[in-house]
Amino acid sequence: MNRKTANKVMTAHEAVKRFVHNGATVGMGGQSIGRCAMALTHEIIRQNIKNLTLVGCNLSMSMDMLVGAGLAVRTECGTGNLERYGTAFQWRQAIEQGRIQVEDYSHLAMASRFLAGSLGLPFMPSKSLLGTDILSQQINNENMPFQIIQNPWDTGEQVVLVPASKPDVSIVHVQKSDAMGNVIIQGFTTQEPEMVKASSCVIVSCEELISSDEVRKYPDRTTVPYLFVDAVVVQPWGSYPTSTYGYYEHDPEQVKLYQSRARSGGDDYYKYLKEYIYECDDFDQFLEITASRDKRMNLQDSMNKLM
Amino acid sequence: MNSKQAYSLDELMVVEAARHISDWDTVMVGTGLPMVASLFALKNHAPNMCYVVETGGVAPQIVGTPNSVTDARVMHRAVRHGSLIDALGGILQRGLADVAFLGGAQIDRYANVNSTVIGNHKSPKVRFPGSGGANDLASHAKKILIITRHEKRRFPEKCDFITSPGYIDGPHGREKAGLTSQNPDILVITNLAVLGIDKTTGCLQVSGLMPGISIDQVQDNTGFELMSSADLSSIQPPTAEELCLLREEVDQEGEYMGSSK
Repeated sequence: MNRKTANKVMTAHEAVKRFVHNGATVGMGGQSIGRCAMALTHEIIRQNIKNLTLVGCNLSMSMDMLVGAGLAVRTECGTGNLERYGTAFQWRQAIEQGRIQVEDYSHLAMASRFLAGSLGLPFMPSKSLLGTDILSQQINNENMPFQIIQNPWDTGEQVVLVPASKPDVSIVHVQKSDAMGNVIIQGFTTQEPEMVKASSCVIVSCEELISSDEVRKYPDRTTVPYLFVDAVVVQPWGSYPTSTYGYYEHDPEQVKLYQSRARSGGDDYYKYLKEYIYECDDFDQFLEITASRDKRMNLQDSMNKLM
Repeated sequence: MNSKQAYSLDELMVVEAARHISDWDTVMVGTGLPMVASLFALKNHAPNMCYVVETGGVAPQIVGTPNSVTDARVMHRAVRHGSLIDALGGILQRGLADVAFLGGAQIDRYANVNSTVIGNHKSPKVRFPGSGGANDLASHAKKILIITRHEKRRFPEKCDFITSPGYIDGPHGREKAGLTSQNPDILVITNLAVLGIDKTTGCLQVSGLMPGISIDQVQDNTGFELMSSADLSSIQPPTAEELCLLREEVDQEGEYMGSSK
């Protein structure tokens, strides 16, 4: 891994091959039906990289696909759902059938774990979780028990310590990056700034490749500088069918299709993976069969009207 | 829904929930019905309310009906787009949220909320999506609003799993657990009634009834014994203007309330 290079642009295939390994802990970007790293997720599924632990705050469609494809052994998150499109059905089935391990957190507790990782600290204090079964579950957890300590300056005040989360690799889809990996996230940023900085490796897919001159002209817009980034994949529509703020809205039709297949499971679900991922050479081929020119224009227009 | 005056219990629930938000309140809002009710408050009587979305948007001027906390509609003309740490840490845990507004799968006698599992955590009978920001909302806000449809299975004596804290096990439950917000008002707004915390017992009691609903109907749909507050009130139905705003601006396609009308 060499982050000190001016050109990190590569294909999704190459980036995933180089930076996502069997047994990795993978930080998942995006939330619900917004800015999920779908192109990078498809590539992990095509390369059949197994035994993954998936971490994030809200884990959504991208997590559900990795679980559905049998590649995840564990999740650590705050929620598994797509809001009004329902729960993450493959994830739910896998939990109810005892096929994966799950650790529950609140979104703030999980984001605090990434914050600790991003600051090079072993843990972060939190005042969430107190008095709940999320906490009692974790205290009994043999892998990573939480601690409750007394505030050293105000004894009697209880504080939870949550351990740092430092993903082996994070996959995120963003609006803009230059070739060096200076990343600009527009709109909501969820846990991504902290998660990316806490990760050993980071693969970014972007809607647009911009020049380093443009980055240097407006440096206050840079969400994460190149020091944290290993690979830049230029992939317009890389979060489809979830949205990218400022570029396109989510596609209800494709999200519903995925959800209905994920809910029925079995052959129906396998057919989805086969048709849309295994039999596609790359993400552009998936876009060709699912997102017509007219559809893309509508989703772009509809986002533009909200800007 | 022919007459303009007629309204559904869901509409009543949303309008009543919104009444518990005041102008200039800083409100941390979850997804689903909390989003609809908060949006209604913003458009109806609380134009200076600071709507905060966990994904990072602060004080947006929302347009249309948002379909997600990631929807550009709920981020429209915000004063800041930030991160989860900014919103849930820097505003909510920091103590700046006057009101937190959440939904829930199960709510028990002490207003504890379960949105994680039915049955055992490791091998559950039914798995729900999980806390999300709900635990944080219920832990840190000064006032907590919970909106949910009133069904017996949603109101058990004791939650299978406490995801988000109410009064935990009694009047001093939150204090003993070490929560910073020790004695918040908690209001559960349903399609049948408004339940509030009696701070001497830490238990939910009926504080208001929806028009035409009897206390027996509320009890029949609740899995634990309910007391009524001394000043039990009858909740005012929505006005024609309120209904018009709700249907024509807030939930335009009936996406959030249409299904149960």
